[in-house]
Parts: sequence; structure tokens; C-alpha cells
Amino acid sequence: MEFAELIKTPRVDNVVLHRPFYPAVEGTLCLTGHHLILSSRQDNTEELWLLHSNIDAIDKRFVGPLGTIIIKCKDFRIIQLDIPGMEECLNIASSIEALSTLDSITLMYPFFYRPMFEVIEDGWHSFLPEQEFELYSSATSEWRLSYVNKEFAVCPSYPPIVIVPKAMDDEALRKVATFRHGGRFPVLSYYHKKNGMVIMRSGQPLTGTNGRRCKEDEKLINATLRAGKRGYIIDTRPLNVAQQARAKGGGFEQEAHYPQWRRIHKSIERYHILQESLIKLVEACNDQTHNMDRWLSRLEASNWLTHIKEILTTACLAAQCLDREGASILIHGTEGTDSTLQVTSLAQIILEPRSRTIRGFEALIEREWLQAGHPFQQRCAQSAYCNSKQKWESPVFLLFLDCVWQILRQFPCSFEFNENLLIMLFEHAYASQFGTFLGNNESERYFSALEQILQVFG
Amino acid sequence: MEFSELIRTGQAQAELLRGPEMPPLRGTLCVTGHHLLLSPGPQATPDLWLLLLRSVDSIEKRVAGDAGTITLRCKDLRVLQLDIEGVEATLDIARSIEALSSLESVITSFPFFYRPKGLRLGEAWHFHPPERYYKRVARETRAWRLSEANEDFSLCPSYPRAVIVPRAVDDDALALSARFRHGGRFPVLSYYHAPSGTVLLRSSQPLTGPQKRRCADDEELLRAVLAGARPGARGFIVDTRSAQAAKQARMTGGGTEAKAAYPGWKRLHRPLERGRPLQESFVRLVEACGDPEQSMDRWLSRLDGCRWLSHVKEALSTACLAAQGMEWEGACILVHGAEGTDSTLLVTSLAQLILDPLSRTMAGFQELIEREWIQAGHPFQLRCAHSAFSHTRPKHEAPIFLLFLDCVWQLGRQFPLSLEFGEGMLLALFDHSYASPFGTFLCNSEKERCLCEVRTRTHSLWSGLNQPKEQRKLRNPLYVPNPLAIWPSVEPQSLRLWQGLFLRWTHPPEPSEVAWEKVWQIATDQEKTEGSQPTDSASEPQP
Repeated sequence: MEFAELIKTPRVDNVVLHRPFYPAVEGTLCLTGHHLILSSRQDNTEELWLLHSNIDAIDKRFVGPLGTIIIKCKDFRIIQLDIPGMEECLNIASSIEALSTLDSITLMYPFFYRPMFEVIEDGWHSFLPEQEFELYSSATSEWRLSYVNKEFAVCPSYPPIVIVPKAMDDEALRKVATFRHGGRFPVLSYYHKKNGMVIMRSGQPLTGTNGRRCKEDEKLINATLRAGKRGYIIDTRPLNVAQQARAKGGGFEQEAHYPQWRRIHKSIERYHILQESLIKLVEACNDQTHNMDRWLSRLEASNWLTHIKEILTTACLAAQCLDREGASILIHGTEGTDSTLQVTSLAQIILEPRSRTIRGFEALIEREWLQAGHPFQQRCAQSAYCNSKQKWESPVFLLFLDCVWQILRQFPCSFEFNENLLIMLFEHAYASQFGTFLGNNESERYFSALEQILQVFG
Repeated sequence: MEFSELIRTGQAQAELLRGPEMPPLRGTLCVTGHHLLLSPGPQATPDLWLLLLRSVDSIEKRVAGDAGTITLRCKDLRVLQLDIEGVEATLDIARSIEALSSLESVITSFPFFYRPKGLRLGEAWHFHPPERYYKRVARETRAWRLSEANEDFSLCPSYPRAVIVPRAVDDDALALSARFRHGGRFPVLSYYHAPSGTVLLRSSQPLTGPQKRRCADDEELLRAVLAGARPGARGFIVDTRSAQAAKQARMTGGGTEAKAAYPGWKRLHRPLERGRPLQESFVRLVEACGDPEQSMDRWLSRLDGCRWLSHVKEALSTACLAAQGMEWEGACILVHGAEGTDSTLLVTSLAQLILDPLSRTMAGFQELIEREWIQAGHPFQLRCAHSAFSHTRPKHEAPIFLLFLDCVWQLGRQFPLSLEFGEGMLLALFDHSYASPFGTFLCNSEKERCLCEVRTRTHSLWSGLNQPKEQRKLRNPLYVPNPLAIWPSVEPQSLRLWQGLFLRWTHPPEPSEVAWEKVWQIATDQEKTEGSQPTDSASEPQP
């Protein structure tokens, strides 16, 4: 399929661009396979260079012979183009719609991008699990690298290499994978050098209505306990939701089978509730009616800050269990790909100074989000403006970044990076010339032969 | 009356809890005429902790068994708890504190006894007399003069001795205009805007009453203002009451300027909250800030419900309106409410911060407060008698000055390089306006201050704040003089809760203190490398 087939009108002159913080400018609009470009030929720069994948929604309006396209971007920008000529306007609009909704990964821009900067470091190999493991292996001999998932056969959303207790062999891991949602058996997320306690994460146990149990699963997580000490299981779902999950084959760890573990339920929202929250928040921020009461009540109604509070509270709880109580913890929700990762990564920011350096933070995202299998392609398909039917979109990663920003604001001297890095990560998660956030897990990235594309972090 | 009559128990053993972020103190507790003291040892040592009794807003006592607890809620929003050994000692100390913290007399208050080392009485009081501001105006225009008609405060008891009025208007006319204005507050110059040659005036409401009285001298005064400004200049009267409230004021003797009587002047209404509703707003906000267990929903709806941020928005909007009138329309502006001592001063002082770069310097800001709040007759003693924790029935209390400081903080946040003073200065002003060892915020007017001899017998806050050791806390290390007007965004999304004040005692101070130190370090290091002179006196040729 050629991009040219989708582009009805590649170029229009005398188009007026309206964008935030700049005066309106007139120039020539060009449509390529991946970009919308506007140049007024005044300097040597273009005023607009927008990736189609950054477009959330477009509106078109006509006033006489002049057509207006309003482009709402995934990074919350709103851009307006005044196009002379109704036919040109309609052509541009439908071309943009087609080009911004392409499904196949390999058609995306990162496969075509050739950077203008010198690539000093191959970011794809900057943060490999073996390197991360070396940081722990000096402190403990209780853990090992397992290659059981190297064909992605045991767990499709895990990376090929995971860190597991030494006492567990690969056969046992295969059995545990059949007992956990999506094959996501408990793996090491973080080792706390101060007292040797750990954070593990997984998917929900598939206990179902029969109360199934899996001895290997129990052995795995018990292997992390010291003699006579208890551990904590933090379930990010409220108790009634966890109980209802049994009807669909899921469930939670029964006290009878896991006597040394104490279970705590939190209630972190997920999926469309978070997406609706984001939509309402962005609407409130764009509201120009100038009324303080309206702003505050819309902010409250969006519930965004409630989610932030719940996530941060859970992360603090996890960090306290590790650091103050000296207990290991296991974190999971339903699938273990959303709220689980928010909690594990934030707990590490709280506990470990390395995560607050730039490289450490990059490594954290690589480990706890990308390799851990957070489905970026699904979650970041649409942002706050999209009005087409939503499936799996949810601003889970953005909530994580907002939580990091909250901590950054309270401890301004404790981070090596500032707000700009967080904003940049948000933008690239939704639309990027780099391939880091493409796909839903390591397996998809591998099979799309993404090694050729350059990493954001390179 | 002797202080000792009010002190029942001299001493007791106690433990002081200062909140979650500071360690408790243990020692001997002592009540004096003006202070509460806690001494770690039997003798007074440099580690002495003391609290000005005047800063206590409300007090609660509980006794259980052999000991008692006193909870002090202070005007600066701190909450302190004293665990005292001995039930009788607890009750006595509580009673002493209650009596001493609510003494009304000015001349027995602590500023009349405060004699710190290093400060001389009489310093700094003469920094900012009205004559000084007049000299600045006279350099730009001859249309105004300094009148001393109020020398003995007979014209207007709440104005200072000298005021700036149009040259064309003589003192007799001023006297007649004073009789036509509430409290004698006839229109006077607040600020002269050189770039457009227009002026900002303030006054109180005209006493038109139900008979729609007029006063030729008052009308002449305002006509002279327009004549003295640019030819063809218009005037706007910004009335800080709603149109309805202004109309109702006529029933009780007040009113508004009739259109026909003041040609060239157009009236605009911009209602600003004052008095009891403003105090309630403050109380509810502080209550909401003091609740750590609440859900996010409850916090946001309480923040919304107390309406404090709406008041901030309205105040800044009105100040912008006045400033725009002068800068963009080239018009003269007269601001008044009912009494002209609260929202009026809020608008005139904020408008000057927006327009005048000099008022954004440290010295200029102090002068602005002296001129537009203290000498202009804002009744500090009445307004700051009680803060947000008080249980007593509110009479004249209202946090208008705090609202002003909050608005200044919003300006500083939106324009971080344009104010020479930092948040520390605003917090200090808030603290001292409610309870202070300095005499600056005592009394309600210059007349009262003269009667009590405040300026000769107490120290000025400015001499305290301008000491070199205070500058690090009070100044803004990022300041760069900005000659332009600064126009704040008054969109609700741009205005924030002033956490540094309202959440001062609930957040641990360290991270922001460390950050502030770091900013100072970076700024001074940069100054050193930029301003370093390559001279070495040893290499100068000897004569």
C-alpha cells in the first residue's frame, strides 16, 4: 500500500495557521505520508511539523468558500488551519483522517525516521535486563536470571529474560505461568539493598470459583520470605472486585494457601474510568468562561486528582512495607500491566535515589513499563480529544508521570531531571519519531524487527 | 493595671509539641506580661522558646488525672500543644494566657517595651512620609500639590496629616468635600502614572443620601483632576460595591456620584467581598487546610465552597481594570467602596504593583504599604484583632490585607523575576500584621498613632526587616528590574492556593528551604562570575 494513495491533495497554498502563543501565519500546507507541514518560507524553518499519529480528532467547518480544519492533538494542543477552497479542505481532512488511523506498526514513522543528530549510543541496548541484574547480584545470591520465556512462549507480555528466586527451576515457572493471568508469573521488580527485601509483581491468580491452588506459585513467593517473617500482597483492586473476578476465572490469594502473606486491597481505577477522567480534566483546563467556582467544581468532577492520590498512597504503602516494616511484597491487579506497574515504579522512585537520576529513571521506565509489557499501543491510541469509540485507551502512563511530578514538586532538589523530561516522555508515548513506545510488549517489538529503529533514549 | 495581676502561676513544667515536623521541647514554662516562655533549663538560655501572647487566637484546655493539656491556635495559623504537669497549674496558665492575649490597650502592648539590640528608636519611621512620594509626583507634573489641611486630623480622622490634591483646589474646598464623603475621606491622589499622565485616586462613598444631595466643591475637585491630566482625558469611577448595594446605600445616607453632576466621569461597578463574609471565607479555608484525613473530593469542594480563590480573582481583575484604564485608555481612575478603607486600598495598591516598577522593589514595596495601607487609614487594629481560629464573635475582623498579600503572591508566581522581594517577605508581613513586637501595624489611623506616640516609642517593622541578616529570607534572588507593566492572568486555572501560607505548618519546611538556599547559591555564583573585576590591587603601580 502506498501512502500516495491516501493523500488526495498533497499541497495547498495560502493556508492560515493558528496555534497557541504565536500570531496567525500564512503559508503553504504540505501533506506527506507521516506529517502535516506548514511553511511560510519566512525563515528557514517550518511553523508546523505535525506527525499524523499525534492527531486525536479533527473538526471541519465551512464559512462560504473558506474551510477550517481544527486539529486536536494527543499532546493537548489545538491547531486551526484556514484552507481556501472547499474541495481542498475536504480532501485534506479525509487524507488526514486516513493517515492518522493507520493500524499496522510497520507503517509508522519510526520505521522511516533518519535522525539529524549524531547517534552516540544505541539506546536499544542501554538498559538490558542482564545489566540491571548485575546491580543486584553483588548484594544477593538468592536470585537468578531465567531464560524460560526466551521464545515468549511462557508469557507473551513478559520480556525474554526475567529475574526469579534461585530456588525455582524453569519447569516450575512454566507451571506457575498457567496459574497467573496472561501467564504473568511473579518476577522480581526491585531489590531493596538496605534490608534485602523485594518487590515482586504478577497478574492475578486464576483461582476461579473452585479455589484452585498451585503449589509452585506458593513456593515461588514463599522463597522470598525470611524465616518467621510475613510478606504483604497488595491487590490494587477493592475486595469486592477481587471476589467478583473469581466468577471469570480470576481471583486472589487465599489465606489458607498463603498463610504467611497478609493481603491488602486498594482501589486504583483503570481503563475507561481513567480515560473519562482525562477527557473531563482537559475540557476543564480549556474552559474559557473565567469562573473560579466552575473551574474548581469541574476539576473535582473529573476525579483526576483522586486517582493521583490513590496511586501515590498505594506506592507509599508499598515503600513503607519494604523500608519500615522490612517485609517483601507482591503487587498485582487483574492483568498486572497497568496499576501494578504504576505502583512498582513509583515505589522505586520513593525508595531508590538511582531512579531519580536521569539514567536511572530511563532504566526504570525501560524495565518497569516497556519490558514489563505495559500495552502502550493500546493505551495511547487515543488521548483526551478523541470522539471515536474507545477500546483499550487509558492514560495510565500519564498518571504515573503526574505522580512523579507531584513528588518532584514536593522534593525539588532530589531529582536529576525536571518537568521537561516528564512532558517529553508523555508526548513521545502518544506520538513519536522514535520506536521506543511502539507495540504492546517486547514480543511485538521483536517480531516487528524494531532493532533497526533508534531509541528515544539513545 | 499591672500585668502581674493577670498572671496567676509563675511557672510550671511542660512539654511543647509544635506539630508533626518539629521535635517536642521540654522544660520550664513561664508566663510573663507579654510572652509565653519555655526554658530547657532552670536559667534563661539562648535556647529559650518564646511566643508573643498577642499571637494567640484561641485556647483550649483539657485536664486528665494529674496533668493538663493546653492547645493554642495562633493567628499565624500555627497550632501548638502544651502538656503541663499539674492540673491547677494548667488551669491557671490557661486563664492567664486568655486574659493577656486579649488586652485591648495599645500603649501597654509589647511594641512599647521591645528594645532589641542593634536597633535605635526613631530609625526607619521617617523613611516614607507622604512628602517623599509628593516629590516624585512634583517632578512629573505641576497639576498637584501637597495639602496640610488635615494637619490636626480635623478634616478626616483616618487620613494622614498631608495629602496630595489638585493644585487648583484650595483647602476650604477640601473641607467642604470632606463633609460630603463618608468618614471625611475626600478624593486624594493615590498614584501618578507618568507614561500616560493620568492618575489613580481614592476616596469613600459620597453622602448623597435619599435626597440626592450634591456638593459643588467635591464636583469641582474631580473636574480639576480631569483638567490637570491630559487634555480630553476621561475618568472612570470604580465602585467596589455592586450596583444594587450602592443604590441601597443611599437609604442610610451614602450613595454614588450622580452622572449629571460629574461630567466626564463614568461609573463602573466591580463588587468585592469585604467584612464578615470575607472573614468567614478565611475561616473555612483554614479549616479545610487543617484536615489531613479528607478525600480529594471533599478537599476540592471545600476549597470551592470557601470561595477564597474567587475573592483573589475578583481583586486581581478589578486591579487590572483600574490599571488598564490608566495605561491603555489614558483615563483617570477614582476607586471607592463604602468606607474607602478596605477594598479601595486593595485595588489601588495592586494596580500600582501592576503598573509601577518602583513599587516592585523592596524599598518601593515597603513604601507602598506605608502609603496605601498604613497611612491611608486601613484599620489594622480592628481588622487583625482575630485570625481564622478565634472563637469570639467577630466584630470588625476581615483579612483584607491577607487578601492583598495573596494577590501579590499570585503576581510573584506569574512573574518570578519581577519582584525584588520573595514569599518570605509576604509571610513576614502577614505574621506581623496580626501580632508583632514592632509598632508599624498598631492602631487604626495616623491620628491614633500620633496620640499613642507610636513612632517615637516603638520600633518600625521596616528597620527590623531591613537588617542584613534577614535579607536572604526576604529577597528574591532572581530579581531583574522590569520597566514594563506586568499583567497577571486572572483565568481561574492560573490562580493557585498559596500553599506557603495556608499549608505552612503541615508541610515539612526542609525541601523548600533547601531549594531556596540552592537558588540563592546559583544566583550569587552567577553574579560573581558576571560581575568579577579583573583588578588586582597588588599589581597597581605604586605612586
